[in-house]
Amino acid sequence: GAERPQVVSHVQQALSYTVFDCKWVPRSARLLCLGSAARGTGVLQLYELHGARLELLREIEKPKPIKCGTFGATSLQQRYLATGDFDGNLNIWNLEAPEIPVYSVKGHKEIINSIDGVGGLGIGEGAPEIVTGSRDGTVKVWDPRQNDTPVASMEPVQGESKRDCWTVAFGNAYNQEERVVCAGYDNGDIKLFDLKTMSLRWETNIKNGVCSVEFDRKDINMNKLVATSLEGKFHVFDMRTQHPTKGFASVSEKAQKSTIWQVRHLPQNRDIFMTSGGSGSLHLWKYEYPAQRSKKDSEGSEMGVAGSLSLLQNVTLSTQPISSLDWSPDKKGLCVCGSFDQTVRVLIVTKLNKI
Amino acid sequence: MGDESVPYFLGEGTTKTYQIPISHLDYKFIEKCTDVKHLEKILRVLRSGEEGCYPELTLVCEKRIEHLDPRSRALRKDKPAATASDFTAEEWQAINSELMSWLTEMNEDDKKSQLLRTDTLNERQDNLPPIRCSSSCLPTNQNKKLQNKQRSKKNIPRDYSEWDKFDVEKECSKIDENCEESNSKARFFSRPSLPIIEKKIDTTGMTKREKIFIATREKEKGNEAFATGDYVEAVTYYTRSISVIPTAAVYNNKAQAEIKLQDWYSALEDCEKVLDMEPGNIKALMRRATVHSHLQNYQTAIEDLNKVLSVEPENSMAKKNLLEIKEKLKSLKPVSEPQGKGKKILIQEIEDSESGEGRGENKEELERRGGYKTSASAAAARAAAAEPAMGNAHRKSHGKGGGRARDRDTHKHKDSAESGLKKGASEKKSEKHLSDNEGEVNGYLRSDEKSESAEAEISKPHREGSQSAGGGSSTSLPPTAAKLKSEGNEFFKSGQFGEAVLKYSEAIEYVTGLGEQSPDDLSVLYSNRAACYLKEGNCSDCIQDCNRALELQPFSLKPLLRRAMANESMERYRQAYIDYKTVLQIDSSIQAANDSANRITKTLIDQDGPSWREKLPPIPVVPVAAQLYRWDGGGLTSENKPSTIDINREEELQMNCEEATEKFKRLKNEGNDFVKMGEYEEAANKYSECMKLNTEECTVYTNRALCYLKLYKYEEAKRDCDHVLQIEDSNIKAFYRRALAYKGLQNYQASADDFNKVLLIDPNVLEAQRELEEVTQLLHLDSSAGAGSHQTHGKKITIQEVTEADEQEERQFATSEDAETHHVPAEEAVPKPVPRRSSEKLRVSEPPNAYDFGQIVNALNANKDKAACADLLTVTDPKTLPVLLSNKLEGEILLIFIQSLEHYIAGKDPGLAYQHLFYLSKAERFKVVLALLSKNEKEELQQLFDLLSESQSDQYSLEDLESLKKVYEL
Repeated sequence: GAERPQVVSHVQQALSYTVFDCKWVPRSARLLCLGSAARGTGVLQLYELHGARLELLREIEKPKPIKCGTFGATSLQQRYLATGDFDGNLNIWNLEAPEIPVYSVKGHKEIINSIDGVGGLGIGEGAPEIVTGSRDGTVKVWDPRQNDTPVASMEPVQGESKRDCWTVAFGNAYNQEERVVCAGYDNGDIKLFDLKTMSLRWETNIKNGVCSVEFDRKDINMNKLVATSLEGKFHVFDMRTQHPTKGFASVSEKAQKSTIWQVRHLPQNRDIFMTSGGSGSLHLWKYEYPAQRSKKDSEGSEMGVAGSLSLLQNVTLSTQPISSLDWSPDKKGLCVCGSFDQTVRVLIVTKLNKI
Repeated sequence: MGDESVPYFLGEGTTKTYQIPISHLDYKFIEKCTDVKHLEKILRVLRSGEEGCYPELTLVCEKRIEHLDPRSRALRKDKPAATASDFTAEEWQAINSELMSWLTEMNEDDKKSQLLRTDTLNERQDNLPPIRCSSSCLPTNQNKKLQNKQRSKKNIPRDYSEWDKFDVEKECSKIDENCEESNSKARFFSRPSLPIIEKKIDTTGMTKREKIFIATREKEKGNEAFATGDYVEAVTYYTRSISVIPTAAVYNNKAQAEIKLQDWYSALEDCEKVLDMEPGNIKALMRRATVHSHLQNYQTAIEDLNKVLSVEPENSMAKKNLLEIKEKLKSLKPVSEPQGKGKKILIQEIEDSESGEGRGENKEELERRGGYKTSASAAAARAAAAEPAMGNAHRKSHGKGGGRARDRDTHKHKDSAESGLKKGASEKKSEKHLSDNEGEVNGYLRSDEKSESAEAEISKPHREGSQSAGGGSSTSLPPTAAKLKSEGNEFFKSGQFGEAVLKYSEAIEYVTGLGEQSPDDLSVLYSNRAACYLKEGNCSDCIQDCNRALELQPFSLKPLLRRAMANESMERYRQAYIDYKTVLQIDSSIQAANDSANRITKTLIDQDGPSWREKLPPIPVVPVAAQLYRWDGGGLTSENKPSTIDINREEELQMNCEEATEKFKRLKNEGNDFVKMGEYEEAANKYSECMKLNTEECTVYTNRALCYLKLYKYEEAKRDCDHVLQIEDSNIKAFYRRALAYKGLQNYQASADDFNKVLLIDPNVLEAQRELEEVTQLLHLDSSAGAGSHQTHGKKITIQEVTEADEQEERQFATSEDAETHHVPAEEAVPKPVPRRSSEKLRVSEPPNAYDFGQIVNALNANKDKAACADLLTVTDPKTLPVLLSNKLEGEILLIFIQSLEHYIAGKDPGLAYQHLFYLSKAERFKVVLALLSKNEKEELQQLFDLLSESQSDQYSLEDLESLKKVYEL
C-alpha cells in the first residue's frame, strides 16, 4: 500500500576501486568509503552529501586494502575512525590528519574481516572498546588507551581447526560492567562472549557461514540479535531470555537465494532492520514481538518466545552483491550502501515514522 | 525467482518442475485451490514460462495467493528503487526539502562544533571508565588468572575452554574479601537478571548538540521499550533522557509509561512538568485527566478535559472520557444503580491523622487488583491527600466482603466461605473423591486469590508499633518491589501465572538484594509465587517456595496449605498430611484442611496399612502464639467460653498493667488481621478478649460490631454500637454500623434515623447517603407493599472496617458484585461459589476470559443451575471452550455441562450441543476427568448422545457422532 516505506536511490556514485565498507561520519552529512584499489593498496574516501550529489572531500591511500571501519569507540567530538585491513592491522585515524594513525597495532595474523566499536558516540556505557574478528580465527577486544595488546582475546583451543571469523558485534552495554561480543564464523558458529564474566555465554550453529551479526541496540539490556548467513537465510534471536539448554529463541527467514552480506538496524528504531543481499537487493524488515516474550518449559525454566518478521519493502539496486550498509545515525531513513559493482549509493527510506 | 529449467514441453501431463498436473494450470483450478504451497508451486511454474507464457493466469494465481496468504514469499518480487514517479509531487518535494534542511542544519552545526572542539576534549577523556582489567578496577594480585593472560604475559591468547573455566564467583569473592570498591560488583553477579541501568548520564564536556543527540537516543530507547511493554525500562530511559535535556515530550512519554505502571503520583508529577513547560499541551492534559480520574479527583479530571475540549472541541477521546467521569461522579451521588459496572467504593476516614506517605500507591493497587472502578467522595480525595501512614492492612478485607450476598438463609455457609475456604462447596461434594478434592483445591485457591490480592495491599504495611498476628514486625517493601509484587498479583489474578512468577521473582530478588530484613514481605512474596507455581502445576517449585516462606515466617497458613496441596498432588501424602495437620493446629476451622487430612488418612491407610501413623514424620508442634483458633470452629463467639476467661484471668493475674496494654494491642491487631482475612468469628472473639482488658476502648466495639454485621448478628452488632454511643455520643462509625444493623433487623425507620445522624456529623459520607436512600426506599416499600422482601434489587452493600491502633480506618462499601466478577455487568452478577438457595435465575453473558468463565462455572456448579449453565453454553462459542476451561475441567463441570446440554440445548440446537461436546473433548484434563466419571454420569452422557443421534443437524453426521462417542469412551 501507499503507507509502506519506499526506498529511494538518492545518489549513485561510481568508484574507481572495490568498496568494502561505507560509514556515515556521526553528526555530519559526510560519509566514508573504504576499500581496495586495483593496484592492491587501501583507499579511504571522504564524501559530503550536497543535495543530490556527493562531493569528494578527501582521498587517502594506505598500503594495505581496508576491509572494515567503525566510529563506535570514539567520542562525538573526536570522531576517529577505527579500521581493520587485509594485513591484520587495526588502525585509528584522525580524519583531519590522516597521515599517521593515532593508534596502530598489528592485531591479527591475517585479514581483519569485521570491526565494531562501543562506548563512544554516547552509545554504550563503559569504556570505549573496539572488537576485531579475523581470518586467523581470533576475536580481540581493544581499548584505544592501551597500546599493543588487546584487553581481551578469544581464540580456539590449540589444535582445534581455526575458523574464519567473518563478523563481530558488541552488545548488552547497558551499564559500566555488562558487555558482550558476538562473533560469527565461516562454519556457521555463532559465539556469544560475556566480557564481564569472561566466559563463553552461548553458542549455536546456523549451518551456513555467518556473514553478519548485529544487536538491535548495543547499549541496552540485550534484546535481539540478527545473524545473516551465506545461503540467504537470516535468524533473529530474542536475547532477553536464555534457556539453560535451548539458549535463545529465534525466528528465521529466507530473504533471497543469495548470501545476505549485511544486516543493519535502524538506529532510531531497533525493530526495523535492513539486510543486503548477494543479488544486489535490499530488504527492509520489521520484527514483531509475540504477545508474551517468554514462557515456562515443562521443567519450569524460562524460555524465550520468538516473534515474527514482516517484510516492509524490498528493492534490487544492482546485479552485484551489496557488501556494506550503514544508516545515518542523525537522519532517520538516510542510508548508504556499497556494492561490488564499484558503486556507492545514498538511499532515502521514506515513511519510517509511520511503522 | 524463476527456475533455471529451459522451457520445453514434456507432454506427460505434469510440469517438469514439481510434477504438477498440467490441468492445474487452469483458472478454475486456481480459483478453487486453497493450498497455498501448491499455488506457490504453480506460480513458480507459470513465472518460469516453462509451460508457456500466461500473464493473465499468472496474475490470477498471484491474486489468489495474496487472498489466501498476503505474506506469502512467492509474492515478493524484485523491484527497482523507488523514483520520483512513485510519489506525488508534494511527497517528492517533501522528501527532498526535508533532506536539504537536514543538510543545512548539519553543515551549520559542523562549523560550530569545530569552534568548540579543543577546549572540552581533555575533560571528557578524564571521565572515561577505566581500561578493562586495569588495576583500578581489579587489583592485580587478586586477578592473577586474568592478569597473567592479559598483561604480564603480554596477551597469550586464551582459548574458549579457558573462558569457560574462569570461575567468576570465585574471582568475585576474592575481590570481595579485599576490595571494598568492588562490593557492588560482586553483589551484582548474584542477581544478574535485574538489569541495573544508571538513571543519569554524565554529560560533562558535551556540547549542546551532543546532548540533544544523546537525549533523543535515550528517548528512542524509551519509546522502543514502551512499545514492547517494558514500561519500567521505558521509564528508566526517559529518566536518562531527561537527565541530559529535560523536554516536555519526554516527560509526557514518561507520564504515559507511568500511567501504564499505574504509578499515578509520578505520572501526575510528570504531567505537571509538561504543563509547566507547555501550558496547553493536549496530551499532558489528557494524561493528567486520566491520572486524576484514577486518583478519584474527578472534578480536576473534568477541568482538564474541559481544557482539552476548549482547544480541540472535536477531540473524541476527551469527550468520551469526560462522559465516563461525569457518569462516575453522578453514580457517586444518589442511589442510582451503578450502571452495568462493578462498582466499588472506597472511603477513607481519618481520625487523629498522622501524616505519612505511601498511601496513594496502595489505593491504586487496590483499584488495579480488583479492576473495579473505585470511586470516592471528596472525603476520600481529602483522605488520599492527607492520609497518614496507616494500617493499610485494613484494606485487605474488602476483597472478600465485596461479593457476599447478604442472604440470611445462607449465612452459615457463608461463614465457612469467609473462613477463607469453600467449606460449603466441599460439603456438597463429599461423595465424590477425586473431583471433590480438586474442586476443593480450586475453591480454596480461588478464595485465596482474593486474600492474595488483599495480602498484596498490605505490601507496604506501616504497622508502626503494632505487632502483626504472625509475629514480628514487618518493614515496608521498597516501592520497586511493591510495584513488582502488585504487578505479579495482577498477573495472577488474570491467570497469567508465568508472568506473575516472573514479577514475584523480580520482587524477591530485589528484596533479597537489598539485604534488608523483611521476612514478612519476603515470605508473602514466596508464598505468592508458590501459589503461581501451584496453579501451573509446578509442584516442586511450589514446595520450594513454601519452604522458603515458612523459613521466614514459620507457621504461616498459606504457604503451609499450598505446600500441603502441592505435596498431595505429587502423591507425597505423608508430607501433605503433616502439613494439613499443622494447618489445623494453627486454625482448626479450615475445612479444606480438615477434609484433605481425612482424605489423606484414608489413602495412607490403604497405602501403609493400619500402622500408617508410625511411618509418618513427626508433626511439628505449633507454638501457642501461632495458634489462631484453638476452639471449635463451629462456635459462635468465645465470649462465654470458660477457657478463654480462665486464660484471661490467669494472664491478668500475671500481667502488670503494661503487659495488659500490650496484650490488648496484640489481641486487637489479631482481631484486625482476622477481619482482613475475612474470619469474622475469630475476629469477634479477639475483640471480645480485648474488651475484657479494656471496656473503654470504643474502636474494639465498633470493630466487633463490624464483625457481627458480617456474621449477620445484627442484634449483637446493635448492642456494641449502643455501648459505644453511650461512651461517645457522636461516634460516626457506631452510628453508621448501628444503622446497618437496624437495616438488617428490618427496622428501617431506626436505620434511616441513624444514617441521618451520620450525615449530620459528616455530610460527605456518600455511602451513608446512598444507604439512606435505599433504606428510605425500603421503608417506603415496607409501608406500601407491606411485607415485601427487602431484597428488591440486587444491591447489597457491605461495609467493612477495622480500626487499628493508630485509630485510622477506612471503609469499603461494595455493591453485591464481587471484585472478581467485575467484568460481569451488575444485573448479571454471578454469585460466588457459595451455595445459594435463591430462586433468582442467573443471567449470563459471554465471559471474556478463562478466569471469568471459571468463576461463572463455579457459581453455576455450586447452584446446580443447569438452566443458567445452558445459557452460558449458548452464548459461549464452542471453539473457545478449551481455552476458557484452561486446565480447570473437572468432573462436576463436565457433568453440569452434559446435563445442561442434554436438558436444554440438545433439543433446541443439537448442532450446538454437538459442537460443545466436540470441543469439550479438546479441553485440557478431559481424559482424566472422563476416566473419573461414575456409572450414572456415563449414563447421562449416553443419553445425551442418544438424544443427539435422534435429532438431526447439518452440523454433524452420524459418523461424526459415532467417532465422538469413541472419544467419550462410550
